[in-house]
Amino acid sequence: MTAFFTSCPRAQTASAAQPAPAPASAPTGLGLKGLVRVLVLPGQIVSLLVLVVPLLVALYMSFTDWSPTRGSLFDATFVGFENYSELLIYDTRFVYSILRTALISMVCLSLEFVFGLGLAVLFLREFRGKSLLFSAFLTPMMILPVVVGYTFWMLFQTNGPVNQIIEFLFGAQATMEWFRNAPCAVTAVILTEVWHWTPLFFLILLSGLNAIPENPVRAAVILGASPRQVFWCIILPMLKPVIIVAFVIRSMEIIKLFDEVFMLTRGGPGSATETISLYIYKLAFNDFQLAYGAAAAFIVLLGSLLLIHLLLVPVREQIMKAGR
Amino acid sequence: MNNRKLSLPLALLMGAALIVVLFPVFWIVMTAIKPPTDWNASPAIWVPSEPTLINFRTLFDPEALGAYGVGGVSQAATKAVYGSVLATVSATLASVIIGLFAAIGISRYGNNSKATPLVILSGRMFPPAAIAVPFVIIFSNVGLIDSYLGLFAIYVAVTLPFSTWMLKSFVDDLPREIEEAAMIDGRSRLAAHLTVTIPLIKGGLFATTMFIFILNWSEFMFALVLSYSNVCTIPVQLAKYVTATAGTLYGVQAALAVFAMVPLVFVGYHIQSHLARAMTFGAIKQ
Repeated sequence: MTAFFTSCPRAQTASAAQPAPAPASAPTGLGLKGLVRVLVLPGQIVSLLVLVVPLLVALYMSFTDWSPTRGSLFDATFVGFENYSELLIYDTRFVYSILRTALISMVCLSLEFVFGLGLAVLFLREFRGKSLLFSAFLTPMMILPVVVGYTFWMLFQTNGPVNQIIEFLFGAQATMEWFRNAPCAVTAVILTEVWHWTPLFFLILLSGLNAIPENPVRAAVILGASPRQVFWCIILPMLKPVIIVAFVIRSMEIIKLFDEVFMLTRGGPGSATETISLYIYKLAFNDFQLAYGAAAAFIVLLGSLLLIHLLLVPVREQIMKAGR
Repeated sequence: MNNRKLSLPLALLMGAALIVVLFPVFWIVMTAIKPPTDWNASPAIWVPSEPTLINFRTLFDPEALGAYGVGGVSQAATKAVYGSVLATVSATLASVIIGLFAAIGISRYGNNSKATPLVILSGRMFPPAAIAVPFVIIFSNVGLIDSYLGLFAIYVAVTLPFSTWMLKSFVDDLPREIEEAAMIDGRSRLAAHLTVTIPLIKGGLFATTMFIFILNWSEFMFALVLSYSNVCTIPVQLAKYVTATAGTLYGVQAALAVFAMVPLVFVGYHIQSHLARAMTFGAIKQ
C-alpha cells in the first residue's frame, strides 16, 4: 500500500484529466482489509467449495474399497494404500496409459512446434491477404474438441476421404481400417491433435517473432551472416523464452487429452489409444470402481502437479511479471 | 524483420498448408448439407449434388427425415441447445463477475506472493478426469447431479482461474494513478474501481467474457459425467449420436457439429488479438 501514498503527488496531476465529480456518499465504511476481502472472497469460496472439498472427498475415498453398490461412502471399509499399490505395481493398463500419454504428448508437441514455427516464419514475409490467411490458420483452435474429434472420425473412415487421398497419391487401393489397427489408431489421434493445436504454436511463436528487435538482426546481416545463420544464431536464441511458454502451456493441456480421443476411438482398439484421462473415466464411469478410480486420479494429480511445477520453473518469472 | 516477398515455392507451401487446415472444416460443412443417400456413400462424396438443410431441420424436428425414408431415429437436439446456452451463458457471466472482483483485489492489493498465481494456475491444470470422480459423488449426495445448477457450479469453478488471471493482466496494464486520481476526488476505493477501473478495461472485459464463453461452450467431460436424462449439452449430444446410432446419422451429427462450431469460430475471430494472452495466462501479449 505504500505505493499509494508515494504516488499521490503524481495522482494529483492526473486528476486534472478526470473531471468526474465525487459522489456524495464517498466513504462506504469498508476498511481496506474489508474491501480486499469483499473483492476476493467470492472467488475463494468458489475455489474452496468446488475444488478443495471434492479433492478431500476423493482423497478419503481413495483409501477405501467403496463402490456405489456398497451403500454409503461413510460405511466403506478402510483399506489403506491398497488401491495405490495395486495401481502402481500390478495395473499395467494404468502404467501403459501414462506412458502412452507421454509418448503421444511428445510426438504431438514436436510436430506442432515444427509446423507452427515454419508457418510463423512464412508469416514474416509480406504478401497479399495476410490478415485473412492469419485468421484462416487460427481456425482449428477455435473449434470445439468434440467437433474436431467427430470430424476426424469421419475423415478416417475406411471409405472416407483420407483413404481416398492416399489412393490418389500412391495409386494403390487403400482400405486401411484406421480405428481397428493399433498403430493406425494412435497415428489418427496424433494427426487430429496436431491439426487442432498447431495454430496455438503458430500464434505464440509469431507474436514472439514479431517482438524480436530488428537491430541485432540487421547488425548480423551487415556483418555478413547468411539468412540461415541469422535464424539459428540470432532469432532462435531470442525466441527461446516464447518457445518455452508455448511448450509449457501445450504440455499442460495435452496431458489432459480426452475429448478428441473419446470421439475418435474410445481408447480402442483394445486399449491402444487409452490416455490417462480416458482410463480414469472408464474406471469410474464404465466399471464403477470409484474408489480405485479416485486413487488413480490422485496419482495423476500428484504427478501432474509435480510436472507442472517443474515445467513452470522456466516461465514462472514471465507469468509473474506479466503486466506488472 | 525481413519484409521480403513470398517466393513462389513458399507460396505453394503455404497454399498446401491452407488446404490441410481448411479441409476438415470443408468436410464437416459438406457432410452437414448432404442428403441421407450421400452420408455414407462409398467412395465418399465430397460435394453433395443436391445440398439440403434437412439435417439441420432434423436437429429440432426428429421426424423431418421421414421424407427420405429415415424414420424418427434421432433424438431432437433442442434440449442440448437449450442446456448449452443456459449453462454456458450463466456460468460465463458468473465467472467473469467473480473473476473481475478477484482480479482487482489481486492486482491492486495483492501481497505479490509468488504462491498465489501458481495456486490459481495449478487448479486449472489438473486433468478433469481426476476431479470428475469426487464431483459425481458429492453432487449425487446434494442433489446437484443431472441439474443445470450443477453444471453451472462446475463451469464457474473450472473457468474462474482463467477469468481471474486474464482480467488481472488487463487491470495490471492500467496505471494505478488513474484510480488514485478518482480517490483523491473523494470517491471510496470501491467506487473508484467500479466507476474508473471497470470502464477502462471494457475491451479486456469483453475479450475475457468471449474467451470464457469459448471454454464453457466447448466443455465436454464434466457435462458427460454429470448429466443423465434431465440435462444435456451440445457436445454430449454429439457424443450420444455417435454411440447410439453409429454410422447411420452422419449428416445430422455433422449439422449439430456445425451448429456448435459456428458461434465459436465467430467469437474466436473477434477476439483473435487477445487469444495469445488468453491461452498463455498473460505470459505472451500481442
